[in-house]
Amino acid sequence: MTEIDSPGAVEWDRVNFAYDAIPAVEDVSLRICRGELAAILGPNGSGKSTLIKLALGLLRPDSGHVRLFGRETGEFKDWGRVGYMPQVGSGAWRDFPATASEIVANGARSRFSPLAVFGRSEREEVMAALEVVGMTAFRSRRLSELSVGQQQRVLLARALVRDPELLVLDEPAAGVDVAGEERLYAVLRDLNRDRGMTIVIVSHDIGAMLREATTVACLNCKLVRHGPPHDLTRDELSTLYGVPVDVLIHDERHEFESVLQPHR
Amino acid sequence: MPSIFQYEFMLRALAGGALVGVLAPTLGTFVVLRRYSLIADTLAHVALMGVAIGFATRFLPSLTALAAAVLGAIAVEQLRARGRLPGDAALAVVLYGSLAIAIVVISAAGGFNVDLFSFLFGSILSVSPLDLWLLVGLTVVVIIFVAAFYVDLAQLAFDEELAKVSGVRTDYLNLVLAVLTGATITLSMRVVGVLLIGALLVIPVLTGLRTARGLRMAMAIAVATGLLSAGAGLTIAFYGDYSAGGAIVITALVLLLLSRIWSGLKDWVAAIRRQGD
Repeated sequence: MTEIDSPGAVEWDRVNFAYDAIPAVEDVSLRICRGELAAILGPNGSGKSTLIKLALGLLRPDSGHVRLFGRETGEFKDWGRVGYMPQVGSGAWRDFPATASEIVANGARSRFSPLAVFGRSEREEVMAALEVVGMTAFRSRRLSELSVGQQQRVLLARALVRDPELLVLDEPAAGVDVAGEERLYAVLRDLNRDRGMTIVIVSHDIGAMLREATTVACLNCKLVRHGPPHDLTRDELSTLYGVPVDVLIHDERHEFESVLQPHR
Repeated sequence: MPSIFQYEFMLRALAGGALVGVLAPTLGTFVVLRRYSLIADTLAHVALMGVAIGFATRFLPSLTALAAAVLGAIAVEQLRARGRLPGDAALAVVLYGSLAIAIVVISAAGGFNVDLFSFLFGSILSVSPLDLWLLVGLTVVVIIFVAAFYVDLAQLAFDEELAKVSGVRTDYLNLVLAVLTGATITLSMRVVGVLLIGALLVIPVLTGLRTARGLRMAMAIAVATGLLSAGAGLTIAFYGDYSAGGAIVITALVLLLLSRIWSGLKDWVAAIRRQGD
């Protein structure tokens, strides 16, 4: 497939993956088109993070194909087009001495440079990325001196510093308070709408995802459903999670309440 | 001139110590940050196996040790990367396996002698001009490697998966890092000894990690601590007639302790100031 056929940003094609003998992803075919803000929802152990790791080439599928911008992930080299923000565990970088601006600067460059060790870390693009996430004031703090929410913002800046076409986030709002969450989604909304950045979010936050995403994929090892968020019914969500799910969304932009009502 | 500088063997030991003091913490920074500290001790025991084979076959033990450590580094890295065993378990298997072989070979070859003890505990008398030149060469290689691949190494140390998605060739980088670590350990053996060389990759690094603001500063503090430990340790060993490796590692530990007290005091003063406000 060539670029002219306008392939999706990420494409899983009849993908199977198992950890040892335990299947994590079963026969998933899913395509995320450019410019979408796609949410991947599903209960714990539903294979959400596995699906992401397959897309990023961190895992190889047992069968099927995974493509980034139309290229098999195994052959994909153009990593500057992809930004990735992993899950942040609390205390994970307690002893890591790097400052926020160093973390972001290291994400900016992967080309060989004979004097890389002398590179300045507070460069223009680094400051711009920190500015987007509102962390400029904390640039010379050690990562270990920041809260989980702040660490997440630094990692988001790190993912953004190369101005990627595709941004992949794994539980970006876990451990972040309401204000931090709103700020995060505002940033993502802007990146998606203004810069046309394709965004893929793995999340537990059903309400926020239904509000923010342009397309929602529900995963429970198999792909249960894929489509625009306003088609998603309460019953579908309840089946997915195995418990009654009530989503209350007071948001003028999508008016989910009214959409969800008729399906009761 | 102080008597320590009047002996050629001592000048060689000091030069060797200084080179080890730079080499070990430089690589050690990335080893420790990747939570792979045990690799140093493992490769030291693999090198010991090489020494034993060298003695048994009447070949140069330094060279058999170097070959063993480099091959061991590649094996350990392959075991880890394939994920067949958890990282620390893979290291334990290689560590005890090579130690067992070393002991068997040594006993078969006629048991321990003075030369072997110098490999185990390090000796300021044993640093030969050849060892010194090999150390100089390795130091140049390591400094060029770290300076050139600093950003990639920093990413690898921070988060391997994140580094991969940024396009860092983590497979090659891990392998080169392991091989250079193996070579460093082998060449440092004559100064510090098999049993303690791991300490020099880890302890000076810990001194830098908690206190430094920035990864480069952490590395600089680690190297400074390594240099100071080697210089002071060798001096103490010379005048007190102690084991060089032991004196160097104890000095490094004292510096680590002082740095912790210092940062503890700073936190305490800061807390009191905050209360005063």
